[in-house]
Amino acid sequence: MDRLRGGPDLGGELERAHSTRADAKMNLALDRSAFMDDVSSHLAGSLNVRRITLQLLHMAVPRLGDWAMIALFDGRDAQLTAHDGSGAVVGPVEVQFDDGKPSGLDRIRRVGQTELLHVGFEPDASDALGAMVPDDELRGLAARLRPADVLGVGLNARGVTIGALVVVRGENSGYDEHLRDLVEEFAGRAAVTLDAGRLYEDRVHVASVLQSSLRPPRLPEITGGRVAARYRAAQEDMDIGGDFYDVHGGEDEYSLIVGDVCGKGVHAAVLTGRARQTVRTAAHFDRAPSSILSALNEVLYDEESDRFVTVACASVRPNAETGGLHVRLAVAGHPAPFLLRANGDVEQPEVSGVLSGVLPQLSYEDVELELLPGDQLLFYTDGIYEAKGAQGFFGLERLREMLPQYGGAEPEILCEAVERRVVEHLDGAAHDDMALLALRAGE
Amino acid sequence: MAEADGIERSLDGELALYVRALDGADSNAAVDVVTSLLDDGVDALVVMVRIVAAAQRLIGERWQRGEWSVAREHAATGVSMAATGAIGAFVRSIPLTGGKVVIGCAEREWHALPAMVVNYGLRARGWDVTYLGAATSPTRLAAVLQEVGPDATAVSCSVLSSLPSGRGFIEASTGAGIPVVAGGSAFGSDDVRAMALGATAWASTAFDAIEVIPTLPAVVAPAPSLPAEPLAEQRTMELNHHLLATTLRERWERDHCVAECAPHDAEDVEVVVENVVEQVLHALQVALVTGDDRVIDETIGWTAELLRTRGFPSRLLSGLGGLLLRELHEYPLAAGLVEAHWRVPEPLVP
Repeated sequence: MDRLRGGPDLGGELERAHSTRADAKMNLALDRSAFMDDVSSHLAGSLNVRRITLQLLHMAVPRLGDWAMIALFDGRDAQLTAHDGSGAVVGPVEVQFDDGKPSGLDRIRRVGQTELLHVGFEPDASDALGAMVPDDELRGLAARLRPADVLGVGLNARGVTIGALVVVRGENSGYDEHLRDLVEEFAGRAAVTLDAGRLYEDRVHVASVLQSSLRPPRLPEITGGRVAARYRAAQEDMDIGGDFYDVHGGEDEYSLIVGDVCGKGVHAAVLTGRARQTVRTAAHFDRAPSSILSALNEVLYDEESDRFVTVACASVRPNAETGGLHVRLAVAGHPAPFLLRANGDVEQPEVSGVLSGVLPQLSYEDVELELLPGDQLLFYTDGIYEAKGAQGFFGLERLREMLPQYGGAEPEILCEAVERRVVEHLDGAAHDDMALLALRAGE
Repeated sequence: MAEADGIERSLDGELALYVRALDGADSNAAVDVVTSLLDDGVDALVVMVRIVAAAQRLIGERWQRGEWSVAREHAATGVSMAATGAIGAFVRSIPLTGGKVVIGCAEREWHALPAMVVNYGLRARGWDVTYLGAATSPTRLAAVLQEVGPDATAVSCSVLSSLPSGRGFIEASTGAGIPVVAGGSAFGSDDVRAMALGATAWASTAFDAIEVIPTLPAVVAPAPSLPAEPLAEQRTMELNHHLLATTLRERWERDHCVAECAPHDAEDVEVVVENVVEQVLHALQVALVTGDDRVIDETIGWTAELLRTRGFPSRLLSGLGGLLLRELHEYPLAAGLVEAHWRVPEPLVP
């Protein structure tokens, strides 16, 4: 630079020119890295394939093209989602690849390479677009922008081409080397995120199918009364746990069951599924709660695991004379339900029995109760009274004290009120699984 | 709201019938009212707003005026649930043609009806709604957002105490790029609080929510961080809420209310003291996280009105103001808000 100092203007000019070029290069690099940082932070928040696709399209337009489409491959099918340039999203549209007519998109699927097509150079302008956008509606959207260049980039993750990113640009603004590199870098990031999202969705699908059989069931309508229930799992994101309830029957006799498996989470939930199934089968032969609990105990004991279950079980029949319900009740290591009379009086039936699955050949005792219209039985699990907040355990006493004002109320209202009181008592503290089941006599 | 829903016809007759069904705790009659309206082609949203929610408001007013016992209120609420269930069954038979939306109440929000109204309104328009109900835990919301991948979410906050956790809902949604519309009476009468908490849009009514949701952008940026200092103070207040509330309740009751309110029975004093202290502390928290000081003036007005209707002297209010200044010494921003805003509407008696 020193040598150039002699020329008064020339040196400055060159220096300026040089530094402008360097600045431009530097700015380009900074700009690119800022863009990719932005991409990373936007992609960090989602594991859902549709949401990831929307994010990618949102970021690709207008930075990488005037229009963008993401294709996700699934065997010979592809799912296309596109941006229309104004912020609206179209798709997903399902298309199938035709083996006889390999298109540009199909080539990407097979080899994962980048393809750049110039619309103007093709004999038929729509062909370049058609090769990459095999759907009439989407192609129409892209064609409206009078694209000059169509760039298709493979989305490669873990050695597999899982999809493609297609971007288009109009006249006088084609894809130079820099922009092409940026699109490829973007596609690399997109592929990894989409792949993780797909993996997550597959797992979620398996989990939710299994979960749905372990989730609390929809309650049936029963003759001569109404039932309602509430459930909060300790792992709230899973929605399943070690507490369970079930109501089943017919021909004027129903079985109600509320129980708690030791432990929580998935392992406990699997055991609740088995316990519920066993109860259903046993109830099919004999609805006496004592017989159901003996059968459950035998089945769980025979499994030779060290797990145990506590259960309260009732069988319910309409009482034509009183208009209420006749109830038989037995428990296995579970606290007895509260009996809330319509006038607000609270009783707790005296009944006890050994928990299920630990000792062989147990027998249980049924107690009989008459529910008059408006009377309720409230079943609960230990997650309710052992809910621990700043003021200590919620406790059975607090539960009992809040009941009288709900005398005669609908079972939904009773369950909701108890749940609310317990959750407020917790005030954000962690809790165990919680289940409530209320039975109210009278139509 | 009668103008907003585009229904010219008066539903006063049906509302009267429905209220009579609530009076008589007659679920069948209530279900008949709503199903015959739906069968006539009246929008499920209109039925929810102008029959079910309108009647629920009437019940609340009767209870506030002491005209209804708690038991009667429970019975009427049971009838409302049956009617709501019938509307739910009706809208679920409508084919799904729209996008996906997740609706829930913020944590600590137990008034599920407003969210339920929006739920059925959207479902009636073909939206695929995942309804999370009252007091949605943030963990559950986050899991549902990843599982469903909705086009939008909606969060409902009716009580001031749920507004800070409404922010958690907004963060979870926008953090996943999902636009969120915020609504409910705790947000006030304009969009200031909703915007301060980072919501994509604010809905003034259920009708508004239903119009706004289809116009939301497909992707939004994560909600910006809240100002650090007030947020930290609000979090500390929330953490120590139980202690703070107990102290204020005890002192206000002992040093002011008992002496001033001899003619009233102790139970009434207790109810007023508890409600006012809760409301004031939550209003301060809301002012901290939203920067909207008007909530304090509103709360003072509400308290003055409550004291007036219960026949308590309004100077109790200035007593509480003094107590707040003393007990909030560890919360300088909140104390500053009390100092700046605590004006008793009526002349003080020393």
